[in-house]
Amino acid sequence: MEETSDHPNPTTSTPGTTPEPDPKTMRSSKPGLKRLLITTTVLFSFLSGLPFLWKSVEIYRSQLPFHDIDSLSDQIKSTPLRFPCTFHALFIGFRSNDPDQLRSEIQDGVNQLTGESSQCGSCNVSISVTVQSPDELCSETFPSTCSYRCGVIKRDAFGGGLDDEVDESLDDVFGGCSGGIGKMYSVVVVNKEEGDGGDEVKAVVGKRRHAWIVGSGLEERYGEVVGRVSEVFVKVFMNGGREEGDSIRGEFMPVGSDGRLVLSFSLLNSNPRDWIYDWDFQRIDEGLLAPVTKALAPIADISVESQVLYHTPKSSFSSWDEKLQSYIFRTSDLPFFVNSNEWHLDTSAGASGRSKILQFVVYIPSGKECPLHLQLPNGEISKTNGFISPMWGSVIVWNPRNCDKDSESPSRNMISPQDLEQIVEVFLGQFRQLFGFKSEAIYTSELGSYKILPSERGFTEWELDVLSRKHTCFNLHSCATTLGSLSRLVQSLPRMIIKDEIGEQVKYSLKAAKLAQSNASLGGYSSSASSSREARSLAENAFFHPSIMSVSYFSYEHCFAVYSPFFLPVAGHVVLAALREWKRYKQEKAKYLTWLTRKKTA
Amino acid sequence: MKNLTLVVMLLCYSFASSSGDSTIHTNNWAVLVCTSRFWFNYRHMANTLSLYRTVKRLGIPDERIILMLADDMACNSRNQYPAQVFNNENHQINLYGDNVEVDYRGYEVTVENFLRVLTGRHENAVPRSKRLLSDEGSHILLYMTGHGGDEFLKFQDAEELQSHDLADAVKQMKEKRRFKELLIMVDTCQAATLFNQLQSPGVLAIGSSLKGENSYSHHLDSDIGVSVVDRFTYYTLAFFERLNIYDNASLNSLFRSYDPRQLMSTAYYRTDLYQPHLSEVPVTNFFGSVMETIHTDSAYHAFSSRISNSKIKSDTPFNQPFNQLSEQDVKEDLQNTNNQNDELKTEKQKCPYSEMRADLHEKLKKIENVDTMVNLSIAVMILVVMVSSSLL
Repeated sequence: MEETSDHPNPTTSTPGTTPEPDPKTMRSSKPGLKRLLITTTVLFSFLSGLPFLWKSVEIYRSQLPFHDIDSLSDQIKSTPLRFPCTFHALFIGFRSNDPDQLRSEIQDGVNQLTGESSQCGSCNVSISVTVQSPDELCSETFPSTCSYRCGVIKRDAFGGGLDDEVDESLDDVFGGCSGGIGKMYSVVVVNKEEGDGGDEVKAVVGKRRHAWIVGSGLEERYGEVVGRVSEVFVKVFMNGGREEGDSIRGEFMPVGSDGRLVLSFSLLNSNPRDWIYDWDFQRIDEGLLAPVTKALAPIADISVESQVLYHTPKSSFSSWDEKLQSYIFRTSDLPFFVNSNEWHLDTSAGASGRSKILQFVVYIPSGKECPLHLQLPNGEISKTNGFISPMWGSVIVWNPRNCDKDSESPSRNMISPQDLEQIVEVFLGQFRQLFGFKSEAIYTSELGSYKILPSERGFTEWELDVLSRKHTCFNLHSCATTLGSLSRLVQSLPRMIIKDEIGEQVKYSLKAAKLAQSNASLGGYSSSASSSREARSLAENAFFHPSIMSVSYFSYEHCFAVYSPFFLPVAGHVVLAALREWKRYKQEKAKYLTWLTRKKTA
Repeated sequence: MKNLTLVVMLLCYSFASSSGDSTIHTNNWAVLVCTSRFWFNYRHMANTLSLYRTVKRLGIPDERIILMLADDMACNSRNQYPAQVFNNENHQINLYGDNVEVDYRGYEVTVENFLRVLTGRHENAVPRSKRLLSDEGSHILLYMTGHGGDEFLKFQDAEELQSHDLADAVKQMKEKRRFKELLIMVDTCQAATLFNQLQSPGVLAIGSSLKGENSYSHHLDSDIGVSVVDRFTYYTLAFFERLNIYDNASLNSLFRSYDPRQLMSTAYYRTDLYQPHLSEVPVTNFFGSVMETIHTDSAYHAFSSRISNSKIKSDTPFNQPFNQLSEQDVKEDLQNTNNQNDELKTEKQKCPYSEMRADLHEKLKKIENVDTMVNLSIAVMILVVMVSSSLL
């Protein structure tokens, strides 16, 4: 390349002309642009590559719908979820009652019992009343939600058979009712003729969604009847017979965060040297447990496992009671009963990390402590010999038939099917307790007691409705808080990688939550329970995704520290060169301009 | 007006209960971490194992203990007593004897795994025994020992856990309701600085020394050649030796039992985030096992009514007084309900293939002596093969 800077040789100046221009202040030729162009081109190419570099270094974050998450949380907090329920009261054998007046009185009773506050999971109530006079003429409130054919139920023949038969036939009678939206719960009040059994009032709640109150002389005790009807509606059908109908307590919702529940049954032979017991668990599982598992399918995905363990002594002590001729342990010993050092219960192979396991233990005492009975604080002996621990499971102590042991070899026995059935009945009571219901099939209040018919599936249909409603509420609340925590966490760490998977799970979770809310407003209890379960499990999957670890995100300092050794030295040189060339060009240009002005003036 | 106040109170109650103040205490968990390795840090492993034994003796089961140890002492080639670890020079207790379940051992004890245990963010394949499966009613005891400094704790000579990482993990645990109360015990130099940044409610923290102080070992075992226990842990164990499973000594008495002259450092504890009074909290709230138990009053007699159910479909009490028309209607209703219940069965009947398979399955079940049938069929097969091969 040729030098474009001109340094005129002072010795070759032509004589006689003006004195030579000082090379430091003037130059005769225009300074060239090539050097400046080269350096600025290099600098410019660096600068233009900067956005590409920035983009390639960008942390990949999948876009989470923060706005939707916030709106879901606000919605769930502000308007508690309510389900539509229809209550239908049928009065048989009442002469002089106006159905509309009855309806308003029942409405007042219901309002009084529910209070003004509306908790999540309660019912949006619509009440309808039908009255059938003794001459079999019917009058009903308008609009009629149930096409009950007048005269189907006879006041004299009612309640004649077993309670189960009455329940089934009531189901046939009301089976044709569509009930509007939501499920329909009905109470039949039958006023029998005088002298048919005294003043006894019998109240039974069936396995489906019907209850009946039978008595004579009920027209006189009109207020009490209305009170009992509203009590059945609110305390039994709406709250499920549970005392704490208010807050939803998490310790009676033993469903894992992935929607699964594992029931782990263990038969514990505490001293196999005395006797060894075995059970035919397959039969129990197929015959007795399968209906329960199927009934709870919308609420939890239940799987069952079983094992038999040996050499499992308990860690609390018992004492011999001469009067009762048995060994006694008290309720104060119960917290120390489970000997976790020797009882290796948690050996489940099928449960994944976020499922909930409930342990059901059948404990067979050793020969030194046989028979073993539980004494309650009031001195009575427990009928079930069992107890539960919320969110853990339950224990039943089962004593062998005869406590004399053969001195020779330990006897191997199978638990007989009748005993097994009794054990499973106690277990069903405990299972209900773990879900917050009472294990006994009776509900008592100040106005009287209501017999509740037990169902083979462990829960009656109206109890399943209560469970669905409560679990929907709990799941939606949990989903909203989890998603809220996730969005706060993600927003607080702006340089953490958020994978696509997390974004998708959040999206599906929000969709399932909306579906659950719409199902709830349409009255589909079990469908809303299963979609809320899905929403919760997707939200938990997103929150507990293993890639969200704050230890491994790239801070700005880290980025700077990694890339500066590559680019800083070279960039320094390029920038310096461009600046230097620019300064030089300006200098030479100034020199040329002064020479030009000098030439002009000369 | 009275209704309004009642409403407000009910709303407040439901709000408070939903925020977890009234959750009952369901179970106790313990996370015991020993953050050092190498032979000269023998005392840290002895510390952790002694606390493990104590906590197990007081009732917390293995399934609720997460034990993280480098576990290179017992089988170390420098160990004069192979497979034995002691915490006292009288060699009375072998801490490593039997029934020790270490969940994270060796090089698995890293800051990342520790934070994963606390926050619960594991890969899907991690087994349940390595996870902290606490719920919103759990009380968690977190014990850490090793070498530490101003706002950090050294993990296995390669990494460090900073106080803000720990505070962040605890904050996430609280948000996700993974504990009801948390007790953090740290036995390192300048331990109290490690929980400077904690802000979550329900956390109680105690450290063996203040900023600028060191925590010292208790005594040297001349037989083994290294110090076998630290002072803070030694006096903690001495307190628990006097305790059994039925006692209810309070946390206050535990914290008061540390004498700065004996410890040669100041055991500092932080209670500003912890609401209950320390003198009312029994030590077994964190160190023992609590099971809340409820007695089962009665069995659920679902099966005694089974016999009567079979009679229902035949005659209902409403059938007799009916006239012809309604009787037919009721029978149709019955049939309809039957049809609804047997929907699955009718669907199966429509498919002849599955019907055939079901029949075959039933027939096979009825055969009693399966062995002879199998032998017969093998003989038949051999015959067929012989015949066909002779034909060819």
